[in-house]
Amino acid sequence: MKRSFLKETLKYLEVAKVNYLNTSVYTVNLISRSVLVVVRIWAFTQLYQVAFAASRSTEIGGLTVPMVIWILMMTQSFQSSTRPHVSQLIDEEVKSGTLAYMVNRPYSYALFHYFGYLGRTFSSLWVNLAIGSLVSLALVGLIDFNWWGLLFGLGLLIFGVTLNFLIYLIIGLTAFWVEDTSAFTWIYSKGQLVFGGLILPLALFPENLLRIAEILPFSQLFYSAARVVVDFDLSLFWHYALIQIAWLAFFGLIAYQMFQRGIKNVSINGG
Amino acid sequence: MFQLMGADMHQIRRVFSYLGLTLEVTKLSILSAMEYRVSFLTQVVGMIINDLGLVLVWLIFFQKFTSVNGWGFPEMALLFAISTVNHSLLMIFARGAHHLGRFIARGELDYFLSYPKNVLWHACVSKTDISSIGDLIFGLGIFFLFGQPTFEKFIAFLGISIVTALIIFNFNVITQSLTFYFGNFEEAAEQMHHALLGLALYPQTSFYGGLKIVTLTVLPAFFIAAVPVQILQGFNLSLWLTLLVFWLTTSLLAVFVFQKGLRRYESGSLINVHL
Repeated sequence: MKRSFLKETLKYLEVAKVNYLNTSVYTVNLISRSVLVVVRIWAFTQLYQVAFAASRSTEIGGLTVPMVIWILMMTQSFQSSTRPHVSQLIDEEVKSGTLAYMVNRPYSYALFHYFGYLGRTFSSLWVNLAIGSLVSLALVGLIDFNWWGLLFGLGLLIFGVTLNFLIYLIIGLTAFWVEDTSAFTWIYSKGQLVFGGLILPLALFPENLLRIAEILPFSQLFYSAARVVVDFDLSLFWHYALIQIAWLAFFGLIAYQMFQRGIKNVSINGG
Repeated sequence: MFQLMGADMHQIRRVFSYLGLTLEVTKLSILSAMEYRVSFLTQVVGMIINDLGLVLVWLIFFQKFTSVNGWGFPEMALLFAISTVNHSLLMIFARGAHHLGRFIARGELDYFLSYPKNVLWHACVSKTDISSIGDLIFGLGIFFLFGQPTFEKFIAFLGISIVTALIIFNFNVITQSLTFYFGNFEEAAEQMHHALLGLALYPQTSFYGGLKIVTLTVLPAFFIAAVPVQILQGFNLSLWLTLLVFWLTTSLLAVFVFQKGLRRYESGSLINVHL
């Protein structure tokens, strides 16, 4: 029992490794993604420096300009690393019928995609974070990091990346019933943009909107991790972790139900 | 003299013939997409909701910070109107420009080379992005809601949208054509496109120093965002001329980079069936 679990784990880790190496080979692509993050950080730095100066404040919502920039660097790096979207891959597999073959292979379809996604994400993530950190350091300097913040932030990031996977999995699985899933992907990515702290950290939201935004899944993808890393607060960590767990359970259940129902269509139509 | 005039007339007729063909090709693509009604509507409505999200971010931003160097929500609304309309025009009529790198890298230009029409034109009009119709509707809607529209302003708005769409088109042709020279450059070109659009969607008055130089050169957001908003806020002949000169310069550069690259192109020996 123990041995078979170990074998299974190694199998999925191998899937992650293959995807990690496959993404790492295309260095031009990796660097070009980081360049995009750099341009954005540069633009955000100038934007927030001007905006904070215009409002004659050095701190808004508990955040200074350097803290805002480090948060945005992290959310942008996290988000940009999760491409290509899993929904796109699943959508293609459902439409082309490849899924019918994949479900008969000796692995779980969802776990296969999950570990592949983790491999791809982490290969771009460290490049984005390394380049993004250097640029943030040069533009706004270092902020007061806390080791606990980094550790707990990493925990929230793993939950957030998993939550992101589940939502894309659900969007991809809608291809069982809907012809084109791209519209759902756009709406989801705009939800991330508005409430995910990719342009405007949630701490800068008006108070009543902040309360709503914090319990939405979008803010729990990447923002919660970045926020805890930049300004560690244990109670904030637990607040975010509980919201994440609730959303993980909710979307996990939906994804499971959708997969079970969708797969019946594959059996009937033969892919 | 008469010979020169004859040559000019021939060129003008050629341009009109290509414009007519572009409209015909796009019309066919849209009609064929409309056959799948649910998918068509999902894409168009999805894009409108997507655009609303972006406006919402800046609406929240300008609740907290009322102004960024004199740039407030009304300026942002004008910027969104221009940006969504010019981008939609590009993606509806010439989405292929966005795929040039892929065509080059995979040897798919062979198909377009076998036709008597201009290769660059044919490759660019070969794809239409249906969801961009949503962008177009959204941009026009925002202009009529927040742009304080008058007849003259609307004409200026359309003119600016077309010229800036052509500038983005040139930018795409230049960056995507770099695949001729550097091989696997599609993703980099795609990221440059996103970087340009990204920079064009921030308050333009916040940029200074090195970043300002970037927006004036490598990623010319200044010409597709800052200048158009200024023109719409008050007619300015010198800004119009700046925009037109920039468009002409980038057009010449785009044709040069593509044509020179095409000579280096090696056939992919692919047999493709285009339906």
